[in-house]
Amino acid sequence: MARERSWRAQKVIERLEQKVNRQVLLSLAACVHCGMCTEQCHYVLANPDDPTYAPAYKADKLRKLFKAHIDWTGRAFPWWVGARSVYTDEELEDLKDTVFGKCTNCRRCSFNCPMGVDMATFNRLARGLLVHVGIMPEGVATVAKDQWEIGNQMGVLKEDYLETVEWMEEELQDEFDDPNIKIPIDKKGAELVYTINPREAKYDPRTIAEAAAIFHFAGENWTMVSEGWDMTNFGLFNGDDELGGACARRVYDAARTIGAKRIVISECGHGYRSTRCEGPNWSKTDLPDIEMESSIITMLRYIKEGRIQVDKSKNSIPVTYHDSCNMARSCGMTEEPRELLRLVCSDFREMYPNRQQNFCCTGGGGAMSMAEYAPRRLKSAKIKAEQLRATGAKIVITSCHNCVDGLTDLIKHYQLDMEVKQLVDMVYNALVVPKPAPKVEVPVAVAPGEIPAKALAGYKVLVIDDEPDVRTYLRVIFKDKGAEVLEAPDANQGWRQIRDQKPDLVTLDLVMPHKTGEKLYWELRKDEKYKNLPIVIITGYGKTDKPTVRFHEFIAEKGIPEPNAFLEKPIDPDKVIETAIQVLGTRIPSDQIQ
Amino acid sequence: MSGTLIELPSVERKLGKTMVTLIKDDLTALPVDGFVFYAREDLALGSGYGNAIQQRGGAAVKKELDAIGSVGMGEAVITTAGAMKARYIIHACGPKFHEPDLEAKLRRTMRSALELADRHDLKTVAFPPMGYGFYGVPLDLCATVMLEEIAAVLEDRTTSLEKIIICVTDKREYDAWKDRVAQFFG
Repeated sequence: MARERSWRAQKVIERLEQKVNRQVLLSLAACVHCGMCTEQCHYVLANPDDPTYAPAYKADKLRKLFKAHIDWTGRAFPWWVGARSVYTDEELEDLKDTVFGKCTNCRRCSFNCPMGVDMATFNRLARGLLVHVGIMPEGVATVAKDQWEIGNQMGVLKEDYLETVEWMEEELQDEFDDPNIKIPIDKKGAELVYTINPREAKYDPRTIAEAAAIFHFAGENWTMVSEGWDMTNFGLFNGDDELGGACARRVYDAARTIGAKRIVISECGHGYRSTRCEGPNWSKTDLPDIEMESSIITMLRYIKEGRIQVDKSKNSIPVTYHDSCNMARSCGMTEEPRELLRLVCSDFREMYPNRQQNFCCTGGGGAMSMAEYAPRRLKSAKIKAEQLRATGAKIVITSCHNCVDGLTDLIKHYQLDMEVKQLVDMVYNALVVPKPAPKVEVPVAVAPGEIPAKALAGYKVLVIDDEPDVRTYLRVIFKDKGAEVLEAPDANQGWRQIRDQKPDLVTLDLVMPHKTGEKLYWELRKDEKYKNLPIVIITGYGKTDKPTVRFHEFIAEKGIPEPNAFLEKPIDPDKVIETAIQVLGTRIPSDQIQ
Repeated sequence: MSGTLIELPSVERKLGKTMVTLIKDDLTALPVDGFVFYAREDLALGSGYGNAIQQRGGAAVKKELDAIGSVGMGEAVITTAGAMKARYIIHACGPKFHEPDLEAKLRRTMRSALELADRHDLKTVAFPPMGYGFYGVPLDLCATVMLEEIAAVLEDRTTSLEKIIICVTDKREYDAWKDRVAQFFG
């Protein structure tokens, strides 16, 4: 009697028969199990005794199904070629664990396969088979549904997106004291449409402002758009070609409506690949009149054409570059980011191995959305952590938002003394632009609500906090009042900035990885040169904690003086500014000291 | 908020006293009596339109759903729409991910949503393409079932419904629906 099969298993088999193409068929048929792929996989390197992580083993899960239902050898000699069908939902769940939880589709194994087996392509296919019947990690479902129905993968509503862009425009106008700096939205006839990753709108709008400044100073006729602005594409990760086509079409339709000649894709590995390389196929769209390029190429062109000037001595901290899998292995973009880096950074150190042989950040393939696999992901990041540590760099630059999150997570996990940035951050920081001299006002103690607009003009404030959101928030608050703001994500980098940049005021978080704020405070206060440096402690504790008591006990024990002020989170912006003004008193701004 | 970048003309056909309209817009931002949310059996709002309902509508909708608890396959329940421009949300539980009896379940879901709207005397109600997209209902089946069930309900009874809106999210979906709506209603 034939074994009963669940409807999901039946649908998976039917779908497999529809989706197998020549590329997949060759990859499924060509593997000779030579094992060359094994040592290339970051999961294997972290789990050498577990064969279920080996690329060939993982590939066999789908290959057995292919042999059972499509390949003639499997129909003729199923026992000989290892053909095996699926019958139950449990077997599909097991397949899910492999194709979503044990592979980031990074393609490093493919690059080292003598038979040219493209693991990522059929791993994506297997994901698509499961998604077709509703079997996927919860996070994958969440993101895919947001992208289908809201139009971007983080569910950013239109009003929030537009408000963020407007906020960044105000920031730029304020920073450069120039009301003519604009972030245009839906500007018909613009030459260039700039598309972003929704992560930028939701968590890191700084990169939108930085790109806008670069477009502005390059004299570009550009715009952002109110729809079709998300160039990311979860269809690449979940194997749903129809979603892939829908996302790509939105971007193309928006650019066509503007009448743009070029779509510029901000730094995102899978977004670039999806929009520029795969999207036209998925969406069955021809775009003969619109070029698509990565913002890396755009920025490089501006510098080469002399449209923007940069000074690489502004980026003197040692940096290294992490090649995103989609950028390097899938799209061949390895030299352009390095050329750009060398133009805007004075101490670039290569990471080894690099380019197509680089190891995955471990956050690729949508892994950052799959919380259930986080411990596995972080364990597999050991090789990446070793690569990063060996460079001696303090900043790792990458051109991918998934990599930013993946690297940030592993840096915290493995306690590396470095932070993650993108090329746009470095180009922006190196920009040479004519800045009007700040109008310095002598700060005086003022009542709440009566703070002068540029009360901190000429002062340099260093924000030391491990939370990017807090740094961004404090930066905005201080910049609003005219201060130049520096940032450090931990105590060690804070120390360096204090030595190199000589800030007028430091805000210091207490709870940070590596070295606590208390320790840094103690070191500064016992240092003859910095013992009088104005320091405001800004820290967060639970209600049951006694932060003041604990910190005061610490400084009493060490015999060091009180900080200039002590503020607790959540941050009250008015209180922060009032405190800064009071602490700075009549101190002469650093930019007036000869 | 700035206007709409890609403006597409609505496609309108009158059936009896009711106007059936295809538009490209933001479903959860429409000023209608009610819109339909393609619900799960456990009534969890989740992401996508569910995310928009929570962000724009506030906590009220979820609170009402918690009190209701669950909804059977092919059935629909109604809640208020919190702080949204719409007054009500019809939570209609349809088939997902190519499950068996897809078409019959989808028809029952569509019928339940329309009848619930009628029972609550709603005059304008907006539908997403039911089950298309994330839940994988094929576009052809989705369009056929929706249009046939709308026609059947409007022919069967005197209804409060003055306007039934089919609201798609982008130009791609609009292009796919436009001719189907025009052809179906002639």
